Amino acid sequence: MTISEIVNRTQAYYCLDCGICTGSCPVSRVTQDFSPRLMVEKVLIEEAENPYDDVNIWSCLSCGQCSARCPSKIDYPEFVRQVRKAAVTEGHSGVPAHRGLFQGVMRLQTLDVKQNKTDWAREAGKIAESGDTYYFVGCAPYFDVEFREDWAIDVMEGPRGVLKALNAIGIEPVVHDDERCCGHDLMWNGDYENFAKLARLNVDLIKSLGCKRVVFQCPEGYQTFKKYYPEVIGEVDFEVVHFYELLAKEFERGRFGFEPLDGVYTFHDPCRLGRQAGIMDAPRALLQGVPGLKLIEMEHNRENGICCGTSAWMSCSSCSKEIQKSRLREAIASGAGHLVTACSKCRLHLNCALRDVEMDLKIVDLNDLLARSLKV
Amino acid sequence: MRQKPRYVEASRCTACGACAEKCPTKVPNEFNFGLDEHKAIYKDYAQGIPSVYTIDPTHCRIFQGKKCGVCAKTCQAKAIDYEQKEKFVDLNVAAVIISTGYELFDATRISEYGYGRLPNVISALEMERLLSAGGPTKGHLTRPSTIRAEARVRELAKRIKKAETDQDMENLGRFQAELKWLEAQIHKHHTATKLGFIQCVGSRDFRFHKYCSSFCCMHSIKEAIIAKEHEPQTESYIFYMDLRTVGKGFEEYKVRGEKVSGLKYVRGRVAEILEDDEHNPIVYYEDTEERRVKSMTLDMVILATACSAPKGVNPLAEMLGVELDENNFIKTHPNRPLDTSVPGIFSCGCAQGPLDIPESVAQASSAAARAAEVVMTGGLALAM
Repeated sequence: MTISEIVNRTQAYYCLDCGICTGSCPVSRVTQDFSPRLMVEKVLIEEAENPYDDVNIWSCLSCGQCSARCPSKIDYPEFVRQVRKAAVTEGHSGVPAHRGLFQGVMRLQTLDVKQNKTDWAREAGKIAESGDTYYFVGCAPYFDVEFREDWAIDVMEGPRGVLKALNAIGIEPVVHDDERCCGHDLMWNGDYENFAKLARLNVDLIKSLGCKRVVFQCPEGYQTFKKYYPEVIGEVDFEVVHFYELLAKEFERGRFGFEPLDGVYTFHDPCRLGRQAGIMDAPRALLQGVPGLKLIEMEHNRENGICCGTSAWMSCSSCSKEIQKSRLREAIASGAGHLVTACSKCRLHLNCALRDVEMDLKIVDLNDLLARSLKV
Repeated sequence: MRQKPRYVEASRCTACGACAEKCPTKVPNEFNFGLDEHKAIYKDYAQGIPSVYTIDPTHCRIFQGKKCGVCAKTCQAKAIDYEQKEKFVDLNVAAVIISTGYELFDATRISEYGYGRLPNVISALEMERLLSAGGPTKGHLTRPSTIRAEARVRELAKRIKKAETDQDMENLGRFQAELKWLEAQIHKHHTATKLGFIQCVGSRDFRFHKYCSSFCCMHSIKEAIIAKEHEPQTESYIFYMDLRTVGKGFEEYKVRGEKVSGLKYVRGRVAEILEDDEHNPIVYYEDTEERRVKSMTLDMVILATACSAPKGVNPLAEMLGVELDENNFIKTHPNRPLDTSVPGIFSCGCAQGPLDIPESVAQASSAAARAAEVVMTGGLALAM
């Protein structure tokens, strides 16, 4: 896509130069080097010689706060996604975090590799070889390898929680060794070629198993399947369901209850789940269903929720750390003792910042919390 | 035509106000956006026409099945009639003028501005009432949080008295501490002197109304100038995208605001509003002239909320058979700006789109003239 096609696709020509995007951007608030408005404006007035050379295109978190508030409905994340895609074809590659480890793991999965992705599931609960429901676990098993030892965080608590909860409401989902990374991060890194390969492998696998619906706990996987797979695959012929919506529906029907849990909790909306997929009520309804649990809101919540500071394992910097710390300060200011996350990456990123500060705050995984107190 | 009962006989009421003085029931005053109270028998506002009192049956004690009747006893004109019923009147008319006005855009829809949640973020119409000599604060610029604090102080005084009689030392200490804090706050924030006006709230926004509400630039400048007249220390910041001061003398008024009243025009639409622990709103915005993201702590923020078509317009339009435009305003002909899509039905003022006062007044006269043409020619004017 040429830059003028990108401008047309994202309606960037509607820009009123009002500054709401930049005033809303969590990155711009920390560093004045980055501005969604100027990023678009430079292209519009052809000030930038080559927009693909601009290092700032890799600083965007694609959290979508700018677009959600933009009076002209300009799709900034889409602008960034397309510019990155074009930049990669011109040989740029951005600034990967964690030494590019995860990008490496993702690209490996485009090959004919043999993976073991089900042992944990057999230990944690019951899974099936075939059936209607596929549980798309996502990348948590890979994160676990990197972070369990170093940070003492068990990322697998999330998937185990989902599986236990699904089992408890009578669902034995299919979990498969051949599942690949959904490709979310590679796509947002501009590596569209490998994203397309991963998408094809995943869809072919699920089709071959004959599953009718795919359940996600990972907000990124959910949003990627729902919004971006049709771009490379066409419409998929299975249903894409988020775990919280499925669980909240069953909870409403009275299929299960929760054991009491004391404490003051606050919920951190992941960008993909909240602002982008619009799933904000279901996680709250589930948390409020736990007797004794007091749910309070941070200053920025729901559609105004703040990003966890880094996205797609790209451009982790002191700016990311500042965003994360200010989020933790918000949680403390709200009076919560526990910050609940619904995305493995949010949990990891916020924990990363928590290691640097002295705060009386525990970060817990929503899936784990729900599975622990769920009773049928 | 349906005429709702006032429970007051219009031909007898002299609007002396003795009934309201004696009425024991207080109701939040809708005209002043709940910033003060009126009685259950009331007049919407002093200049309202016809000048007749009305009983609010949802609050009046008589309609709640309680004993009262104070207004009826007080009224020398014997105008009170609790038995009054809804009336349906058939009217034969030769022409109709739709002048149903507009509705304020519901600013709670822009959650990042915190309207309805942050006490000192108010609409321009609330500001209008606060600045008005006949308003809830008699023109003094008291912050809504201070008005609330004052009410809480009155309540605390009662509670402290009770705690003292009951020897409830634990609560007494708590109440006294709260009282001390509130009194200090009331003293500190006695008058709002640092004001932020946010333009285009719901207007020129594809998420809500694409159109420009046209009168907000002028009323924000006006309110800022008046605030300065009431309190010379006032500092006002107007956050705008473009100041559309189009009209006779309007641009001069804008310049006067800057040169004489010291208003500061800041180019940048506000991104979000938070507040500190003393209810001071903090606005975050990009100063687009300096290309910098900034924040500013203010005493009060005034939102220039958009002019929306009234909610009841759809059933009305359906009943009369007139067409609406894409924004739900009454559709008018470009060359005959008072004519709706139905001959003999005219429209004027904000019913057909955002208009300021002089334009609304001019349209009202013109619409009356158009209607008179039809009436006086026995409908012949419609054929022309």
